[in-house]
Amino acid sequence: MKGLLNYVEGNSVLHRMNPLSKLIIALLISVSCFLCKGHLFLLGVILVNLALAAVGGIFNRALGLLKTLIKLSIVLFLLQVFFIRDGNILLRLPLNIYITDMGLSFSLLLVLRLMGATMPLTLMLSLTQMNDLSNVMVEKLGIPYKYVFVLITAIRFIPVFMNDMQAIMEAQTARGVEFDTRNIFKKIGLILPLCVPLLVSSVKRIEYGALSAELRGFHHRKKNSGYKQYGFKVQDIGGLALFTLLLVASVFL
Amino acid sequence: MVRFEAVSFGYEGKQTIYDVTFQINQGDFAAIIGANGAGKTTISKLTNGILKPTSGRVLVKGKDTKTTKTSELARTIGFLFQNPDRQICQTTIRDEIMFGLKCVLKDNHEIEERINQTLETFGFDGSRDPFSMSRGERQRIALASVLATRPEILVLDEPTTGLDYRECMQIMELVQELNRQGTTVMMVTHDMELVNDFASRVLVVGGGRLLADGDKTSVFRNAEVLKAASLMPPQISALAQRLGEPFEGIHHVDEMADRIQCLKEGASL
Repeated sequence: MKGLLNYVEGNSVLHRMNPLSKLIIALLISVSCFLCKGHLFLLGVILVNLALAAVGGIFNRALGLLKTLIKLSIVLFLLQVFFIRDGNILLRLPLNIYITDMGLSFSLLLVLRLMGATMPLTLMLSLTQMNDLSNVMVEKLGIPYKYVFVLITAIRFIPVFMNDMQAIMEAQTARGVEFDTRNIFKKIGLILPLCVPLLVSSVKRIEYGALSAELRGFHHRKKNSGYKQYGFKVQDIGGLALFTLLLVASVFL
Repeated sequence: MVRFEAVSFGYEGKQTIYDVTFQINQGDFAAIIGANGAGKTTISKLTNGILKPTSGRVLVKGKDTKTTKTSELARTIGFLFQNPDRQICQTTIRDEIMFGLKCVLKDNHEIEERINQTLETFGFDGSRDPFSMSRGERQRIALASVLATRPEILVLDEPTTGLDYRECMQIMELVQELNRQGTTVMMVTHDMELVNDFASRVLVVGGGRLLADGDKTSVFRNAEVLKAASLMPPQISALAQRLGEPFEGIHHVDEMADRIQCLKEGASL
């Protein structure tokens, strides 16, 4: 999981695309995952995601992400499949628990959607510099920088907090807190008191962040303050057209 | 007490420690020095099993860190981190010290006794909130909660970063006193003056390798090793070396003054 959202250097077509079109494409893929009703179509979308990752040179990262998602999906699938009681019963278990064909189909659809829709946004963030993304949102969409900053900061802080948590857990293990236990429930119980140091360091970090942003003229940043221009090129129009087709296909297939 | 046997360590395909072998004996005050990124902190984390070696092994009192849990090693090794805020997780000093003790001790009566003892030694008011105290005070609280468990080995990872001279001395004098009473101390630092004032043995790390291991005098005299590790000897040691043989092995201003006095008297006789 570590470094999942970090930018990966590169010069592929996807790297050179306009950040806004990348964002829109990611959203198009996600939305089409939720609109379509076919399992095969969703499998296709997942493959498209992997193909896009390969083009951007982050195939291994995408594979790692997919593995994590599959683990999560198994848990979700198991939870879901027992709760749908409509349809023909395929398997009867004791305690009046059974699995139906509808339950199976719906649960599979749900986890495939989860996988297909989560990947594009994560991959997009790996192929786009945060600064470019925030600049383009201000410049092209006209969203006030303040709001863009909130969004970007939230994304940027995820790996920072993960590192912090890791360091805190190391420090506590060194004191004798049994984080290296195999018992997962015990581990969760032990993590709770650690929210205090994490909270304290986060609040401090955010306060420093706000202070330094203000010192650098945060409030004076407007739509035309950016130095870089973000134009739309052939690859942007082509990409957008292609994935709009995907969206249309998802409704009709 | 602590033995590294041909230890190598790599993280995400990048090797950071190469074939390091050394042994820290009981009662040693060893300083691990090196430039930033040389691998000092990695070595310190290898000692208590937070990191496990990719090859070779680390033994703490005969126990392999690969097969022993870090939380179990915590009974033998006390570890003070550079940043006390990662360690402190309770809202009063008393609770904070108790939290550490409860991880390694079962007997409530003993825990209570040790808390009171520690509070007295450090002169803390147990009901105060650690988060509202200064950086130096927080470092002292972290140290107090480590020392309350009475570890046989104390590992300090840049314990004085960000502290002023007085706070630094408060911490180091306490550590020195413990060392006199038999606690083995391993200190990671790049503050050469600190090494000079307190350590007896020096290990130089550079580029993930152990470049030198010996007593202060011999290491500080070895200009080649220090250069390879991008370090400068402490000023007083450098001066003693330049002055030549009569000033051999001097590491303190007091010693230097004494020696000069001696030589003066010798000359006037």
